Amino acid sequence: MLSISELTAVVDGKRILDGLDLEIAAGEVHAIMGPNGAGKSTLSNVLAGRDGYEVTGRVTLDGVDLLGLEPEQRAAAGLFLAFQYPTEIPGVGNMYFLRTALNAVRRERGEPEISAVEFLTLAKENMARLEMDPAFLSRSVNEGFSGGERKRNEILQMSLLQPRLAILDEIDSGLDIDALRIVANGVESLRSPDRAMLIITHYPRLLEYVRPDHVHVLTDGRITRSGDHTLALELEEHGYAPLTGSAR
Amino acid sequence: MTSDAALLERLAPTAGVGARAERGRAFFDAHGLPDPKAEAWRYTPVTEIRAALEHAVPAPCGSTSSTVADRPLIDALAGSHGGPRLVFVDGLFSAELSDVEATPGGLWIGDAEALRPRRAPGAPAPQDEPADGFHALNWAAGSDVAAVLVDADTHLDVPVHVVHLSTAGSTTSAGPDATAGADATVTHPRTVVRVGAGSTAAVIESFVGTGGPSITNSSTRVVAAEGATVTYHRVMSEPAEAIHVGRTGIEQAAHSRVAATSVITDGRIVRNAVDVVLGGDGARSDLSGLYLPTDHQRHDNVVTVDHVASHGTSTQRFKGIVDDHGRGSFSGHVIVRHGTVGTDAAQSNPNLVLTPTAQADTRPWLEIFADDVRCTHGATVGRLDDDALFYLRSRGIPTAQARAMLIAAFAAEVVDSVTPESLRDHLSTWLHTRTVEVSS
Repeated sequence: MLSISELTAVVDGKRILDGLDLEIAAGEVHAIMGPNGAGKSTLSNVLAGRDGYEVTGRVTLDGVDLLGLEPEQRAAAGLFLAFQYPTEIPGVGNMYFLRTALNAVRRERGEPEISAVEFLTLAKENMARLEMDPAFLSRSVNEGFSGGERKRNEILQMSLLQPRLAILDEIDSGLDIDALRIVANGVESLRSPDRAMLIITHYPRLLEYVRPDHVHVLTDGRITRSGDHTLALELEEHGYAPLTGSAR
Repeated sequence: MTSDAALLERLAPTAGVGARAERGRAFFDAHGLPDPKAEAWRYTPVTEIRAALEHAVPAPCGSTSSTVADRPLIDALAGSHGGPRLVFVDGLFSAELSDVEATPGGLWIGDAEALRPRRAPGAPAPQDEPADGFHALNWAAGSDVAAVLVDADTHLDVPVHVVHLSTAGSTTSAGPDATAGADATVTHPRTVVRVGAGSTAAVIESFVGTGGPSITNSSTRVVAAEGATVTYHRVMSEPAEAIHVGRTGIEQAAHSRVAATSVITDGRIVRNAVDVVLGGDGARSDLSGLYLPTDHQRHDNVVTVDHVASHGTSTQRFKGIVDDHGRGSFSGHVIVRHGTVGTDAAQSNPNLVLTPTAQADTRPWLEIFADDVRCTHGATVGRLDDDALFYLRSRGIPTAQARAMLIAAFAAEVVDSVTPESLRDHLSTWLHTRTVEVSS
C-alpha cells in the first residue's frame, strides 16, 4: 500500500533522511523507532507534505505518487498524520474544523457531504470511545487543550476521516498511563485489513498496547534494522547505542 | 489645484442653510481642507481626495430615490435588522424606503424637515465647531440630517438602522462615455443620535453604494446622557471605487456606556475617525474595528479617546487584515486630562498582513497628564500562521478554504461581538465571501 524508496530529505543543507526504503502492506502496523535526531519527525513531515524540505526519492500510496501532491491532496488520497505537537488554532471551532475536514475529504472521494446533525451524532459516538467530553467540540481547535486532550483530538480526527494510511508521530509523548491506554485503545480500534499504520515512537511503551507487525530502527536517516515486535523489547533493554555505534 | 474657496463654491453653492451650515462655511473659509502633512492625516491621502473632490459633482437634488433603489436592494446591501429604518439616497431622505411609522414609545427618528418643528423655541443655538475641514464641509454642504432621538429611561430592544446609499454611476449619464473615468458624485451625510439619561439604545449605520465612483463625507454624532447605554455599529461597505471620509464624534456623560464598532468592508480610500469625549465621571467606551484593504485600497482608522473626567474606562480594539497592495492604518490616541483620577485605558491593534506588498501602520499615541492611570497598548503585525495552515491542509481542507478559515478566525473577535444576530450574520457572510476571494 505504501511504498517508499530511496527517500532523502535535506533541510538547510543538512541531510536528515538518507535513502530510506520502506514497504507497508494493507492491514499492517509498522513501528519506526530511533534516537533523537534520527529523522523520525522529518519522515512524517515529508510524507504529509510540509514545506521546507528538499525531497528526492519516490513515495506511492496505492500506486499514487505522493510527493507530487499538495498536503490536502495527500489527505484526500487517504494519508493521515497524527501530529506530535497538534497546532492550536484560536478562533476556529473544533466542530466546524472537523466537519469541514470530513466534508473536504468526502467530496474528494465522491461521497455526499454530511449534515451538521449527522456529523454531531457521529462525532459524539467517536468521542465517547475516546472518553472525550463533547464540550471539546465547541472549543477552538486544540486551544488550551492539555497534552492528552490534544492527542485524543488527533485520534478523533483519524477515526472520523478513516484514512488508508495513518502515521502516528510520537502519539504517546506527554501522556500519563491512563491517557496512553485510552489513546492506544483508540488506535487499536482503528486497526483494519484495509488500513495501514505507521507508528513513530521514541519509547516502546506504546507498543505494549498496539502490537506492531514490524519494527524498524531509524538511525542517521535510514532504516538500519528491521524485525518483529520483539525488536522493540530488545531496544528497551539495550538502547540504541549498539545500533548507532556511538557509546551512549 | 483649485483653491479652498473655489472648492467650497463648487460643493456648497447655496450659501448656508441654517446656523450650522454657516459655522461650517466659516470654518472652511478659515482653514480649508486639512494639511496633508498634519499628524492626524498622515495615513490619509488627502491630496488624492482633494483631486477627486475637484472633479466631483454634487449629488443630484430631488432625484426620486425609488427609481434607483428599492427595498430588496437596501436589504441586500445593508441587511435587514427588524427595527425602524431611515434611508437616505444620495444624501436625501427617502420616505418610501424608510420605516418611521411604528417606532416604539420614547424613540423619535426622522430627517431634517421632520426635526425642525421639534426644536424648542428660544432654546439656545448650539455653538459647537467642526473638528476639521472635511467636517466643516459636511456642515456647509450637507442637505439633510438623520436624527435618532431617545427619551430618558427608555429601553429599546430593536436597533435603529440608518442607511446611506450612494447611487453614483447610475444617476449621472447613462451614455457609454460616462462610465470610464466618470466623475464621482459627492454626498455629505450627517447623523445625530441622542440617547437620554438611563436609556438603552442601539443604532446601526450602513454606508452602501450601487457601484461606480462616489465620495462620501460623513459625520455622525452620538450623545449618551448620564447612565445611558448605547451600541453603535458603523458599517462602511461602499463599492471598491468609493472614497469615504467619515467622522464619528461620541460624547459621553457620567456613567454612560458606549460600545462602538466600525467595520470597513470595501472602498478605495476610507478614513474612519472616531473621537470620543468621556465628559462625565465613570463613563465607559468600548471601541472596536475591523478593516480589510485589498488591491491598492487605503483604510485609515484614527481613534481618539479624551478622558476629560475621572474613573473613565476606554478600550480600543482594531484589527486589520491587509491584502495585495492594500494599506491599513490605525492611530490610537488616548488623552488623560490633568486632575483626573482612576482612568483605565487599553488599546490593541493586531494586524494580519497577507502579502509582502501589503502594508500595516500602527501608531499608539498616549498623552497622559495625570498620575492615577492604568494605560496599556499593544500592536502586532503578523502573517497567517504556517503551522496552522499546514495543520488544516493536512486534514484535506483546500488551501483557499484553510486560509479563509484562519482569516475569519482572526476577525472573529470583532465580528462575534456584534449584535444583533442579523448584523453579525450579514458581516460573517461578507467576510466569508471576501476571505475565500482573497485566498484563491
